[in-house]
Amino acid sequence: MAIAIPVDRKADELRRLVFKRYRWIDRKWDFMFWFTAAFVVAAAADITRLLFAGDWDFWTDWKDREWWMTITPFATIIIPSALQFIQWRAWRFPTGATYTACCVFVAAWIGRVVQWKFFVNYPMNFVWPATWIPAGILLDFLLLETRSFIVVSVIGAGLWTLAFWVSNYAILAPFLQPVHFMGHTLTVADVQGITYIRAQTPEYLRVIERDSLRTFLQETQYVSLAFGTVLAIFGYWVGQFIGRYLAVWPIGRFLKQI
Amino acid sequence: MEEIVQSARAPEAVRERQPEVYDAPRVPGKGPIDWMGGWKWGLLAVPILLGAAAVFRVYQGFTALSIGTDSSTPQFFWYYEFLVAVEIGIVGLFTILWWGWIIRSAKRLPEALGMVISRREEVRRIAVFWGLVGATSVNLYIEASFFPNQDGAWHQTLVRDTAFTPSHDPMFYFFFPLGVTLAIGTYLYGRTRLPAVYGAWKGFPWSFFLLIAATVTEVAQVAMNEWGHSVNLGNAGAEEFFSVWFHWPFVLYGWLAGGIFALWGETILRLYQIEKDEEEGVSPVEAATATVTSR
Repeated sequence: MAIAIPVDRKADELRRLVFKRYRWIDRKWDFMFWFTAAFVVAAAADITRLLFAGDWDFWTDWKDREWWMTITPFATIIIPSALQFIQWRAWRFPTGATYTACCVFVAAWIGRVVQWKFFVNYPMNFVWPATWIPAGILLDFLLLETRSFIVVSVIGAGLWTLAFWVSNYAILAPFLQPVHFMGHTLTVADVQGITYIRAQTPEYLRVIERDSLRTFLQETQYVSLAFGTVLAIFGYWVGQFIGRYLAVWPIGRFLKQI
Repeated sequence: MEEIVQSARAPEAVRERQPEVYDAPRVPGKGPIDWMGGWKWGLLAVPILLGAAAVFRVYQGFTALSIGTDSSTPQFFWYYEFLVAVEIGIVGLFTILWWGWIIRSAKRLPEALGMVISRREEVRRIAVFWGLVGATSVNLYIEASFFPNQDGAWHQTLVRDTAFTPSHDPMFYFFFPLGVTLAIGTYLYGRTRLPAVYGAWKGFPWSFFLLIAATVTEVAQVAMNEWGHSVNLGNAGAEEFFSVWFHWPFVLYGWLAGGIFALWGETILRLYQIEKDEEEGVSPVEAATATVTSR
């Protein structure tokens, strides 16, 4: 007995479009775009991180509860947000943040290994870069589920900040173990900072995390996470501006004839 | 049906009312979308640029810590200050030769002789254009990630006593100006080879305006950066912070490079139009006429 399957004309039309054969457009164009775009995406994301929050990302002893947690989510969400807009607008791909996180992961590790380890000889367990990949996956998942940049900016910024902290805390935790060093109780990260001298950074015996926020004790990181979220919402819209007006809006637009 | 002409020598065509269609010779393996055809320069540019960065890095590996730490020595002059002049000379010479070739050879293009190019030839040019855009992208990575990482590592480790430190040399004086050369060169290629997208009659594209602004102002920002460091503003004496205000313009100019996505967008739309014309059997002459009359 034949079963009648209703044909969704729109879906059928889209399916035919996906599998359409062109004379010149083939997979090489996809490859060249995704491969070469990865470089500029990594560049924009890494320079934003380096020059807005780099000091807190370079060293284990600078990865503190106060500034690292507050500034880094803001600096790191900007380019993923821009790529979310570009990829969603162009292909309806909810992959922009993850793509950016993966690009910058490779670029940052190349930078740290080639430059920080083999150029000036710092060990990798002192200068490892923070990862954004879990945060990126969550941000993209939220866009896929809500299909709203406004919702992603508000809830996603909080998720981004929290996921950034959780995923990197797992890596950082061993360096926060207490050690007895020259009559003082310090962390392993502090001892790294003292052992591997950075002649041009602030005095190496200084406690990076300071000011009165420390009076909150264990609450410090939650206060920082909350403020980091607020800043990340702002950062998300900076990224949206880049994606909308610096990357997509100029398509087919021209200045006055010269 | 396309009327195929195998060479560009046809001044008679200029005098004819119906322009002839130029198509490049068909060489196996070197077609418009073959890796060694239209994509050749896109494929070669990536290893060339990354190779250049690797050569600089190896040079620094042998000389930076032994010679590059004291700018007052004669060795420093020969290994690092003279290197700046060599770098600027190489980039300058490359710029003159490449831009000169693009502009001069444009006068010998079939279009300049009154012909119309085939769709196949236009697709090849778009592939070459994507290769140049890709090269600019790779150069931006070297400018904004590979060497800035080194700059941070170097300056937080050693005293800054010159603007020509080993970490600045390849970044500021080779890859930064090369970025300007690549961005403007890509525009010149687009303007002369892809008139349907970037023809002079359309005006100056916003996409290139943003990308060129990013590369030009990145070079200009070097001056502000060095000035900022020279007076140690915001840098608490001799201490070296990376996240200081006079570094932030580097980030802003990195964002302007977002215009590069518009280049991909504009040319892929043209590619779809070419495919549509092919599907509908529109002759290249008709398509070219439609493009011109839509001004």
